[in-house]
Amino acid sequence: MKKVININFQGRVIPIEETAYEILQQYVESLRKYFANEDGRDEIINDIEGRIAELFSDRLKKGSTCITEDDVNAVIASMGRPEDFDTVEETTSRKQTSPQQAAPTYRYASNGRGRFYRNADDKIIAGVCSGLANYLGIDPVITRILFVLFFGALFWVYIILWIIVPSQSVQSNVTKRLFRSADDKVIGGVCGGLAAYFNTQSWIPRLIFALPLIIGLVSSPFNAWFNDWDFWWGPKVLTGSLGFTLFVTYVILWIAVPVATSAAEKLEMRGEKVDVNTIRNTVKEDMESFKSKAQAWGSEVKQTAQEFGERAKGFGQTAGAQAKAFAAEAGPVARRTGSGAGHVIGILFKAFFLFVAGIAAISLFGLLMGLLFGGFVIFPFKDFILEGFWQNALAWSSLLLFLGIPILALITWLIRRIMGVRSKNHYLGYVFGSLWTIGLVSVIILVGLFARNFKSGSEKEDELSGFVQPTKGKLIVDVAPSNIRYYGGDWFGIHDEDFPVYGLNQDTLMLNTVRVNVVKSKDSVYHVHKVRFSRGRNPESSLNSAEKIQFDIQQKDSVLMLPKGFAISKDDKFRNQRVLIVIEVPVGKKIMLDRSLNNYDWFNLNMNGRRRWNANWDDNWENSYSWRDNVEYVMTETGLKRTDKKSDDGYDESPDEEVIAPADSTHPKANQPAKPNQKTPYRYKGNEKKEKPAVDSTKQESATTEENDPTQQNETYPSLIYMLARIAR
Amino acid sequence: MRKGILEFCILSIIRRGEAYPSDIVEEMRAANLHILEGTLYPLLTRLKNADMLTYRWVESNSGPPRKYFSLTEKGLQFYQELEATWNELANAVNTLAAKKDSLANVPTSNNDNL
Repeated sequence: MKKVININFQGRVIPIEETAYEILQQYVESLRKYFANEDGRDEIINDIEGRIAELFSDRLKKGSTCITEDDVNAVIASMGRPEDFDTVEETTSRKQTSPQQAAPTYRYASNGRGRFYRNADDKIIAGVCSGLANYLGIDPVITRILFVLFFGALFWVYIILWIIVPSQSVQSNVTKRLFRSADDKVIGGVCGGLAAYFNTQSWIPRLIFALPLIIGLVSSPFNAWFNDWDFWWGPKVLTGSLGFTLFVTYVILWIAVPVATSAAEKLEMRGEKVDVNTIRNTVKEDMESFKSKAQAWGSEVKQTAQEFGERAKGFGQTAGAQAKAFAAEAGPVARRTGSGAGHVIGILFKAFFLFVAGIAAISLFGLLMGLLFGGFVIFPFKDFILEGFWQNALAWSSLLLFLGIPILALITWLIRRIMGVRSKNHYLGYVFGSLWTIGLVSVIILVGLFARNFKSGSEKEDELSGFVQPTKGKLIVDVAPSNIRYYGGDWFGIHDEDFPVYGLNQDTLMLNTVRVNVVKSKDSVYHVHKVRFSRGRNPESSLNSAEKIQFDIQQKDSVLMLPKGFAISKDDKFRNQRVLIVIEVPVGKKIMLDRSLNNYDWFNLNMNGRRRWNANWDDNWENSYSWRDNVEYVMTETGLKRTDKKSDDGYDESPDEEVIAPADSTHPKANQPAKPNQKTPYRYKGNEKKEKPAVDSTKQESATTEENDPTQQNETYPSLIYMLARIAR
Repeated sequence: MRKGILEFCILSIIRRGEAYPSDIVEEMRAANLHILEGTLYPLLTRLKNADMLTYRWVESNSGPPRKYFSLTEKGLQFYQELEATWNELANAVNTLAAKKDSLANVPTSNNDNL
């Protein structure tokens, strides 16, 4: 009792037994594979199918009710199996086999063992991996994965094997492909397919994929119990990164690997079908190879004997004849070595390009990964940078689409290539392409919106009120030790001191973009000015956010306590807020800046009028008097001077001079009064506000005006060159 | 079979008129040359792609329409070339095989002065 189904075969409706249909399908599939590299593949298959349909019609006309297995087998016998084509065509076109293999028997890989060939039939680059796998009797996928994983170490091994190992058509014994299993599935059939592929029970891959989830579920009560469990390598690795990796792997396999639907695919999924025929062939081939080996050995002995005789004969010949013989012999040898050298050079060239391509691909991959994870690291900041639904949506889409998609595509491609997954449809490529385009567009829009938010800059300047002149004529500047405990130190794995942004909790961001400048006072007292900068979409908004900066300076007798930083909230947004403290020191008075001031960072996001912006880590102090921490200075008429009479050594630019002059005093603009309509965002106008006319007002002016010079440079120099120059320094 | 001989056989059958692949197989079988249809179809496609053959569809009452192959101008030329080569080869082989007289004696080796 057999089920009969109707199939549409070459435009005919043909009733066929289900089992017969499966055989037929397998047969057509095997033909398709056999002719895969043929030019008119589809046409050949069509012709053959047409002929089969004709034979079927004949049979049905003769009174059969349906096509049976026997009918199909008879048809296949008359058409021939792919392996039968080989015996006929072997010498016609397809393969150039050496004389020993010219025997019309079919070579199986198991016999190829013992000799290591590069596999000419199943190759991605040069067939080294599959040849090696064949030699070792393992799955090529394993060797390929090894070579990909240890690309760096095994690259040269691959190249050397490529050069020294001959290429040979080694009939691969494994026609396994990775499919998703349709029958054995829980979610996507990935585990079932993997189990079939690696010939194990399907619970093994399932457990591997599910284990992190289970551990996560088990450990979550503990996590809840120990609220802030910083046991970094334990549960976090197992449940966090590993689980995530496996999850991503599963999803990628789900996307990249097709489902096994047809019978042939199901068989391929489990590897080669083993039937009586192949076993018989293998045994026969074994016997024959032994016989031929024996024969070859016999003939070799004979040949050696002959050669010996000939050599003896040749030895007796005249020198002229010898020379002639030598010339005749040397010719082909030279030619052979020549072609050998050409071969090696060719391979080296190929290898070189491969190497370059590989390096490019890997660095691209690394860059993308870096950007992606960098993006994830920065992501908690987004609430402080972005505003509104649209910017957030754009941020998500650019992160996931623009950066995620190429990585996904690359991994998909790699998996498909290694696992020999065939895809019939190309929609995945189009999907990836269009998603990536969406990502690109959102990146462009996001950058535009982002830059607009930093377009204009404002500053708010006030003199510190209630500042009491320090006794003993010495001012010490220190940073107040913070007694506020911020949300975990390694929130992003970035240490406090390393980054201008630190101590972030859910809705507060601490910035330490603070800088202290020391200038000469125009009168006989200390002055402290606080300048708050910010950027914004327009002058009003930037001024508004500058005014919102809370930076309260406290004084304890002669010590000026600066806060560690200032907080901005989610509503304020990050707009490159900065604080500049300008301390005017009168001549003859002393100042010391504590070491803790080094913890301040300063960078300037400058979106200037020409719509160019750069992140300027402005950590040099050449605009005012440079100072070093924990050193006592005294202000003189010409500038700051160390009280301990030692010169600033090492990295100071003017070690010979005791007096540290303003670095830009030679600048042509130094003595010019500043023009109020200059483009620079801020000019310190300290002395202009004084009631008392300052004696050395121009000098004072010069010292402070120069502070704006880097910004001017930024506007004239191309920002990139500027950045490069900074890096090079 | 040597490269080209199969093509030669097929062309020599098609030369005589339009032929359907299974006819070709039958013809060859009658001449005691056994060939599988699965081998024939790719060959025909290759020859057709090389402009040696052309075909037309003929409606058949016992299945899908059939492809009937015929020789093109180029195919005929190729056939003639093949024929000439074949005749040359066959003549040479026949001449060699037909010779009965023994070869002239090889001069004795002069390595006695070793």
